[in-house]
Amino acid sequence: MLYNYKTTLEMAILRKSIRLLSVLVIFLFSFTTLMAQVKGVVKNETGEGFQGVNVVVKGTTTGTVTNNEGRYEIKASNESVLVFSFLGYKTQEVKVGSQKEINVSLAVDESLMDEIIVVGYGTQKKSTLTGAVSSITNKDLSTQPVISAPQAMQGRIAGVSIVNNSSPGAEPTVRIRGVGSISLNPNPLYVIDGVPAGGLNTIAPSDIESIEVLKDASASAIYGSRAANGVVLITTKKGKSGKLNISLDSYVGTQQAWKTLDLLNSAEYIKYGTALLTASGQPVPARFSNMNTPIYPGATTTFAQTETDWQDVMFKNGPINSNQLSLAGGTDKSKFYMSLGNFKQEGILPFTEYARQNIRLNSDHQIAKFLSVGQTMMVSADNRIAERDAGGRSMIMNIMRMTPYWPVSDPTKLGGYSTTAQGLDATDPENPMRIAVQEQKDQVDKSYKMLGTVYAEIKFTNWLKYKFTAGGDYASSIFTGFVPIYNDGNRSRQTAELSQNRGQFFSKLFTNQLTFDKTIGKNIINVTAVAERQDAKFSQINLTGQRPDNNIKEIQGASNVSGRTSVNENTLISYVGRLNYEYDSKYLLSASVRKDGSSKFAPGKKWGTFPSVSLGWRLSEEAFMKDVPAISEMKLRGSIGVTGYNSIGDYDWQPLVSANNTIYPMGNDGTNLGSYFNSLGNGGLSWEETTMKNIGLDVSLFNNKISLSTEAYLRKTDGLLLRVPLPESMGYSNSPLANVGSMQNKGFEVSLGYHIDKKELKSTLTGTFDLVRNKVLSLATPNATLNAGNNADFGGFDITRTEAGQPLQSFYGWQVEGIFQNEAEISAANGKDGNSATPYQNEATKPGDIKFKDLNGDGKIDAADRTYLGSYLPKFSYGLNYTGTYKNFDFGVFFQGVYGNKIYNGTKVLGQGMLRLFNASTDVLNAWTPTNTDTDVPRAVSGDPNQNSRTSDRFIENGSYLRLKNLTVGYTVPASKISGLTNNVLTKARIYFTSQNLLTFTKYTGYDPEIASRNGNLLTNGVDFGMYPQARTLTVGVNLGFN
Amino acid sequence: MLKTDSKKIFEMKKVLILTGAIILAVVISCEKSSLDKVNPNGVTFDTYYSNDQELIAGVNSAYATVQGFGLGAREWFFTHDLRADEMATGGGQLEAPRNQLLIGVNDASNPVANSVYTGWYRTIHRANVVIESGLKTNAAFSEAIKNRVTGEAKFLRAWGYFELATLWGGVPLYTEFAKSVEDAQPKSTQETVYKQVIADLKAAEGLLPESYDAKNLGRATKAAAQTLLARTYLQMGDYASAKTELEKVVNSGRFKLVDNYLDLTNEEGEFNSESIFEIVFAPSNGAFNWSGPDGDGNSVQEETIRTQEYSPIGWRNLIPSNKMIDNYERTVKGDAKNDPRFDMSFWKAGDKFNNGNDVISDAAVQGNSSQMDGKTFKISWRKYSLLYKSNAGFATSGINMRVMRYADVLLMLAECENELGNSAKAISLMNQVRARASVAMPAYPTANYPCDSKAKVFEALQHERYVELAAEQVRNLDILRWRKNKKLTSEPISYFKASKHELLPLPQTEIDNNPKIDPKDQNPGY
Repeated sequence: MLYNYKTTLEMAILRKSIRLLSVLVIFLFSFTTLMAQVKGVVKNETGEGFQGVNVVVKGTTTGTVTNNEGRYEIKASNESVLVFSFLGYKTQEVKVGSQKEINVSLAVDESLMDEIIVVGYGTQKKSTLTGAVSSITNKDLSTQPVISAPQAMQGRIAGVSIVNNSSPGAEPTVRIRGVGSISLNPNPLYVIDGVPAGGLNTIAPSDIESIEVLKDASASAIYGSRAANGVVLITTKKGKSGKLNISLDSYVGTQQAWKTLDLLNSAEYIKYGTALLTASGQPVPARFSNMNTPIYPGATTTFAQTETDWQDVMFKNGPINSNQLSLAGGTDKSKFYMSLGNFKQEGILPFTEYARQNIRLNSDHQIAKFLSVGQTMMVSADNRIAERDAGGRSMIMNIMRMTPYWPVSDPTKLGGYSTTAQGLDATDPENPMRIAVQEQKDQVDKSYKMLGTVYAEIKFTNWLKYKFTAGGDYASSIFTGFVPIYNDGNRSRQTAELSQNRGQFFSKLFTNQLTFDKTIGKNIINVTAVAERQDAKFSQINLTGQRPDNNIKEIQGASNVSGRTSVNENTLISYVGRLNYEYDSKYLLSASVRKDGSSKFAPGKKWGTFPSVSLGWRLSEEAFMKDVPAISEMKLRGSIGVTGYNSIGDYDWQPLVSANNTIYPMGNDGTNLGSYFNSLGNGGLSWEETTMKNIGLDVSLFNNKISLSTEAYLRKTDGLLLRVPLPESMGYSNSPLANVGSMQNKGFEVSLGYHIDKKELKSTLTGTFDLVRNKVLSLATPNATLNAGNNADFGGFDITRTEAGQPLQSFYGWQVEGIFQNEAEISAANGKDGNSATPYQNEATKPGDIKFKDLNGDGKIDAADRTYLGSYLPKFSYGLNYTGTYKNFDFGVFFQGVYGNKIYNGTKVLGQGMLRLFNASTDVLNAWTPTNTDTDVPRAVSGDPNQNSRTSDRFIENGSYLRLKNLTVGYTVPASKISGLTNNVLTKARIYFTSQNLLTFTKYTGYDPEIASRNGNLLTNGVDFGMYPQARTLTVGVNLGFN
Repeated sequence: MLKTDSKKIFEMKKVLILTGAIILAVVISCEKSSLDKVNPNGVTFDTYYSNDQELIAGVNSAYATVQGFGLGAREWFFTHDLRADEMATGGGQLEAPRNQLLIGVNDASNPVANSVYTGWYRTIHRANVVIESGLKTNAAFSEAIKNRVTGEAKFLRAWGYFELATLWGGVPLYTEFAKSVEDAQPKSTQETVYKQVIADLKAAEGLLPESYDAKNLGRATKAAAQTLLARTYLQMGDYASAKTELEKVVNSGRFKLVDNYLDLTNEEGEFNSESIFEIVFAPSNGAFNWSGPDGDGNSVQEETIRTQEYSPIGWRNLIPSNKMIDNYERTVKGDAKNDPRFDMSFWKAGDKFNNGNDVISDAAVQGNSSQMDGKTFKISWRKYSLLYKSNAGFATSGINMRVMRYADVLLMLAECENELGNSAKAISLMNQVRARASVAMPAYPTANYPCDSKAKVFEALQHERYVELAAEQVRNLDILRWRKNKKLTSEPISYFKASKHELLPLPQTEIDNNPKIDPKDQNPGY
């Protein structure tokens, strides 16, 4: 009956055909009487009995469904053919002949699986897609351990740049098709099971069925005002009908730093320190000539006997462990997927870690033939201890600067750690272990997240559906901070500082969607209409207090307790329409429009319209192409559309008085609150608007053995939101946002796939290549510049500049010409401007100092001699992934790389900048002296009077790298063997070994070339301020399946 | 059977279509209001600053910027000190930008000097907000508060412009706060800026009270406005007008010299009878606000980092220059008495500190040594050092900075009298300062300061100001003034180059971001 119903689902026609039907039923009845009984077992790809498979006698309506053991019985004649089918599997046909028992195994239809692509508000066949959409399926996610969804995308999707960042738990930087914003973090919109939501870290990668990246405007414009930086759709797993499928995925591993730098040992440090201070006319530290004193009062070891390798002390092996248990199954009426996961990762530096627990339940139910409902639900908890930039200085920086003759710990000091207190040692580095223990360990970020959806879908007819979705995204974050009282002999804290920040985020989404889908002759028409509303509210409470002791880490009986709360709300109301039209499987058209109304903007500026249109032509379906058998698929497509970006604050257009936000202690007794007004508003604030043009060509050759997809795009962003840089004299500390800039990204992408299927060796080679060129077209004013990166510890000059005509945040500084070898060269330079009394660089220039290039030829070095020194943006990036199976072995080799980018190597500034006395890299032993003139390291002199460490090409390095991102070897115990051995308990067992970042090829001399931006700051990408290096990971894991 | 099924389905469909329509209608209905959201976390400019309390809060915030680490708590005293000849580097620990200012190789990107520039403009902006709000007609201000607060704001604005004009010369002049990004002002001349300062201070003089109750100590008074006005006139070389203002302060009878010289830079002597204007810090043992240059945030009791920067048990970034040390009168040089102000201004080995519980030793003090009388030993600044009652390796302090005090008024008046030809009056004013109980230096003329001509009186005055006001951020102003008014017989700054070091360079960011300022507008020599 089910089968029957399917073929004639259109009820109106059915009613009119009652008479015809009754004739048919009689015919069928009479036919079946001639049949013989055939039975058998259907197995799935893992050899288990396969429930729910349709078994039909070809050309008839006679059919049955396999039971929970995969068994079936059907009446069929000798002449008939049995058709075994199940969605997502290759259909098999078997002629009955004389057989009474027919056993078959159904194989997964991979070509079919690739065919359906999730797009905004629906799915689409890949073959008829006209937009630029790339996808990763759970195959890519499950074969190797990745920590989060963005990590899984790295190097696998052309046009998507992923840069891992910072310590465990930090979300990588994700940029789709270049960088689309300057003042806002240009993050893509993440849509998780239909709900625009953040917090990707909290989703267990093994719960993900697929990740789709909507790259061009025709695919993403349906998300309107939030889509300009691309959209990432994440779809979580659903249950399948059939036997319960229990699986356990576990791995355990270790991470370590793959590189250390050559820093000075005690003897070298003393030699260097003596030279450095003597050159600037300062006394040599008393300690240098008196090392035979105890390292602290009462200690038996002396400084002379102490040699601390701070890299060795601080870098450690970080364990990583993940366990995920999942259960999936169901009947054809109800299906479910549930999972339970636990993940824990410690960093390679002390007290940095990330842990996550998650539970998921997804289910789908067919309540009536016309009504289906379902839900997704995730609950997760995570816990992070992040690197803290104590005093704005990173852990790496403190490791590099710490004195090598100093002991790690010192029991005579309050808190147990000490550092040089300047006097005898003439320097004041921070003991990095103290930072880890006292500034990091008890500063914990926890968050709890619940993300769920419920949907109901009603089929009015077989061509008209209505779907209602309600989604909720709840996140609660709790930061507890405790920094204790300590005294390290130099710095101290007299009262313990406590803080607790709690945030509550709730966003609710209601989507009403009507879908019309009908084939009329050669025309296939699909129309989608959506009305949607999303409200988000974030409320926060921050508490701080002080305590006179280190006993209690809660704000109990604390002094100076203060608290503040704030609340932010926004609403987005949207109307969406989309038409997909296909004629004769050859000509494709897609057009969409979204109208968004957002509460974030001023009255009169709240509504925006974002249209797109795309066309496709499947050449391979044309008669003249049918003669070329090599080409199995060929499609040309083009699109244009407009998207927006609105990730500004909820009330940015309305500036506020910072009421009672400061204090001045009149009469020494400070309760005189002060109010000030420090931002300019902008009633004309609107979204950034991106127009993207895209053309693409998809080709499959030799029966899909080779597949190629190329795209070229031009992406222009107007109304770029910029903090208009105000002159200091205006007196505002905040700059107002205004839609004043424009920027362009243009690029080219290639994805290539090659499948080899040779009996026992099955392998796939995929490659991605992408190239993006970024250019700022205009900023607030024609000559406006945005400078960033100024940091006294790194030379004290701006490091990047953003200006029209250049890629954003290009490195900007001086160029090194050489080293002044003698006084004569300096006086010659001083006389270049015709007046030898005025210095070329400055009055303090001495032989051994760097001579910078006089680019404007005015005979002196000043700000006007700076120039562009390169960009952090790669000239191109690429990924090469080889996966294969040979017999029971599987293997994966994944290379990822970037080429042509520059890094400002701040660790080189720390290593050989010689600003003042700290430990340094061994480069300083090669500093210029009258007898060591053949060097590029300037003279050692404290205070850097010539400003040798100013931003210059001396610290700009080639950031290209090629990384063996992943190497995996796995072995699957044959199903027959494992079932037998385990009494049918175990149905699948795979063991694998994986290494991440096993090999890195780079010329970069810092710790790690894969750096994003310190603390996610804007405009300092690619500046290595001593960033947390990426680890090399070795893991062993198992995938087990149970009955 | 099929027929009934389909009928049922049809009825259910009707229900569902209706449901859908209702849901759609619900979504769409309340849209208009829900898109109009008002920031619930504060008030807007239009509604704020409309009563006494809010106006007072406005001017408090201007004082707060003066106290933030962009100005009073750190960079302001550094900039003045580094530019004067009172200081030498404490050693390699002195950060590069500070060292560059000290040796005169600073450029337009120097963060220390630029922070002072920015800090004063933030003060001026906040003062402008208050001055303009005071003109609101629809507000409920009491006349007394409105006048007083306007006077305070004008005083603070004048102080900002006085510092800017003195250190940077011609700078952009804002007498109203900028309402939009187009309101940037061009560079004006030093003279125009000084004129604005004089106008503001004259107005403030009329609006400000003579004194405040204990809870409001630290607010600008009439005498503060008069003293600053006198400083401005002096800087311009208008001795007669300066004298008029200074005499008002003297004749008010409100001020007298305190007996103990130490009480001028310790915590216990705050707001004493010699004090005319102070930057107020919260009592010691609060916390230093590193969070931003403006000193914002309402939970942080702000202190100054000065004690840590200069103290021997501390960073000791700057120490007294040998020239400074040599300037004190001592018997070895033929003076009648060792000037007691030497011991009260500097720490040396053997000095007791921490309430007499600890003794300073050279070994425990980092950095450079000084030369005195042919001997080499470590001398560090004691003024504003918290060590007299602490031995912490790291400490910030709550010692208020005495920006203007009565001894300075007397010495400025002496300078006026001498310039106006009344040398005898000048000598007697200087002798008042020397007669302080704890100092009790013999009266001028002395063997080394014969004071027998206008020039010799000026020499004594230079010496007296140098040692009496050492490290009190007036030496830089003095040098700039004497140089500008051509009173110097020799240049005190060793690195000085004419047509450059008279002024600091305008910050590069000002030149880059101000559409009305061209790179050519940069001060000469930079």
